[in-house]
Amino acid sequence: MSGEVWVYSESETVASEVATAAEDVAKGASAQLRVVDISSVRPATRGSGTRLLLKGPPGPDVSPAVAAEALARAARELAPMAVLLGATRDGREAASRLAAKLGVGCMAEVAGLASDGQGMTGQRDVFAGKVVAKVRCQFPAVATVKVGAYPRAVAQPADAQEKDVGPIQDQTKTLGREKKPAGSVDLRSAKVIVSAGRGVKKKEDLAILAELATAMRGALGCSRPLSSDLGWLPEEHHIGLTGVTVKPDLYLAVGISGQLQHVAGMKDSKIVASINTDKDAPIFQASDYGIVGDLYQVVPALRRALAARR
Amino acid sequence: MRIAVCVKHAVDEAELKIDPGGNPLLAGAAGKMSTFDKNAVEEGLRLKAAHQGEVVVFTVGGAESKKTLKEALAMGADRGVLVASDPMALDALRTATMLVAAMKKSGAFDVVICSEGASDTYTGEVPPMVGELLGVPYVGYARKIVVEGKAARIERSLEDSVESVEAPVPFATSVVSEINEPRYPTLIQIMQASKKPIDELSGEETAPAGSRRWVEVLSMSSQPTARKHVMIDGSPDEAAAKLLDALSKEGVLK
Ligand SMILES: Cc1cc2nc3c(=O)[nH]c(=O)nc-3n(C[C@H](O)[C@H](O)[C@H](O)COP(=O)(O)OP(=O)(O)OC[C@H]3O[C@@H](n4cnc5c(N)ncnc54)[C@H](O)[C@@H]3O)c2cc1C
Ligand SMILES: Nc1ncnc2c1ncn2[C@@H]1O[C@H](COP(=O)(O)O)[C@@H](O)[C@H]1O
Repeated sequence: MSGEVWVYSESETVASEVATAAEDVAKGASAQLRVVDISSVRPATRGSGTRLLLKGPPGPDVSPAVAAEALARAARELAPMAVLLGATRDGREAASRLAAKLGVGCMAEVAGLASDGQGMTGQRDVFAGKVVAKVRCQFPAVATVKVGAYPRAVAQPADAQEKDVGPIQDQTKTLGREKKPAGSVDLRSAKVIVSAGRGVKKKEDLAILAELATAMRGALGCSRPLSSDLGWLPEEHHIGLTGVTVKPDLYLAVGISGQLQHVAGMKDSKIVASINTDKDAPIFQASDYGIVGDLYQVVPALRRALAARR
Repeated sequence: MRIAVCVKHAVDEAELKIDPGGNPLLAGAAGKMSTFDKNAVEEGLRLKAAHQGEVVVFTVGGAESKKTLKEALAMGADRGVLVASDPMALDALRTATMLVAAMKKSGAFDVVICSEGASDTYTGEVPPMVGELLGVPYVGYARKIVVEGKAARIERSLEDSVESVEAPVPFATSVVSEINEPRYPTLIQIMQASKKPIDELSGEETAPAGSRRWVEVLSMSSQPTARKHVMIDGSPDEAAAKLLDALSKEGVLK
């Protein structure tokens, strides 16, 4: 095992977050940090330490299967103590496959990473965010780092070492890629979020929530069914376990029941307010202020009250 | 077409009790079929309806896991395989190792279906590991699967895009919830399910000697965020005004 911690993500911005997490592991393990690129150097990926460019697979975009194989070939030879990836959907696949190829453990979607020199520890949400688990894995190990949990590194990695891993044949063929409707805002940096749930009866009605969000100088978010099942909003608007984790100053949940999986993504908000017709909705347990009422009456009332104040 | 579906008997997160010290009471906690595994079973049944064959459901877990297998059988799966293991002594790689060993004992499969993530642990690691250890192409986060002859077309639902991928059969996949609407078994189906076969394998039969759990859980705790729980009443206009007053006082309204 060499004293190296590797960083990889197919997304340059996520890779820069992972690099920040990797610094904590490298520090605890007295290891060197290496920012790994596959097929081509991506200058936007930041991180301290040095670059390692794996050459062989046709790039620049590589599938999780090819990324896992490239990383596995390099890791067998260079034997890093840890390989950290981003917990994106592609990243989870690549990390899991890499761990299975190497026969080592893989910690999923961790934050709060640290190392005692022998292994690494991290924290992750379990049971839909009701419980936080502290997990540990002996080196050598693989982990995925929770997206949004770390700031992006700013340092530019020093000159690249190149390593040829040989050609890699993808068993599957990508036929095409279609962008989902783009998100208008970055929910992670929004100070105010108005979030829509299934209490909204039809897609057109989202307009009144979007207007309220604008009037509050905030952004519009939603529960998972609205983006995934109904497709009313882009995927990156959905908040929760499988979506974005946010911590605005104000989170206003409108027509959201407050299932654990949703609350997992907003429980660190400074103030939570909610509007729901059901006085027993669990969202009120997760709220500072609650209004039992019909969103179709309360939201317009809020708009009027806001307008009167400005 | 032979279809394998992996179903997990997950801890029911809503029912899970926490003691006053913040420790989850996992011993004897209520379980249920992992939420999205219902979508995995449903997709298996749809593929069977289109291509004939059989659907075999696999689980690794304690004796309680039989309930989840029975539920999948009631939905329409043909047989079940239970790999006996203490659920507290599992991690993703060990689980995947056992699932794959159990599948290999049951003969070759054309399609292996998991869900994107288990509702209790949500690691999303078991499915790609199963694909890797089986040595078949793996395409995860499927929101649509169409098999024609010896090839499958799969739509992968990613964060900001939908990717269309072609994979040769056999392949392994994980499904997202939007892929289908899982059926509810009827009372008759639930009764008939008790006659369907469930094979049981021991942990030793499916885990190679020396194989172990890699990721260990050091501790678990639950620290719910303290909230004020102020309920605001009055007409919509009164309530709106009161809420804005409160939010201004909190300094969160710019
Ligand atoms: C593994 C897993 C991961 C998941 N991840 C996520 C996630 O990341 N994010 C997420 O959001 N969900 C997630 N879910 C789904 C989650 O469990 C819930 O199903 C979902 O959050 C419910 O969305 P909702 O509150 O909008 O809808 P519902 O639960 O249907 O609630 C609608 C609410 O609107 C209220 N309402 C109805 N009409 C009105 C009205 N006129 N005015 C005001 N209120 C009204 C109702 O009283 C109800 O409380 C996940 C589930 C699983 C199993
Ligand atoms: N113990 C298990 N038994 C059977 N299938 C499992 C088990 N654990 C995970 N899986 C499968 O893998 C999926 C993802 O689980 P996970 O990787 O734990 O998030 C589940 O939805 C199941 O399809």
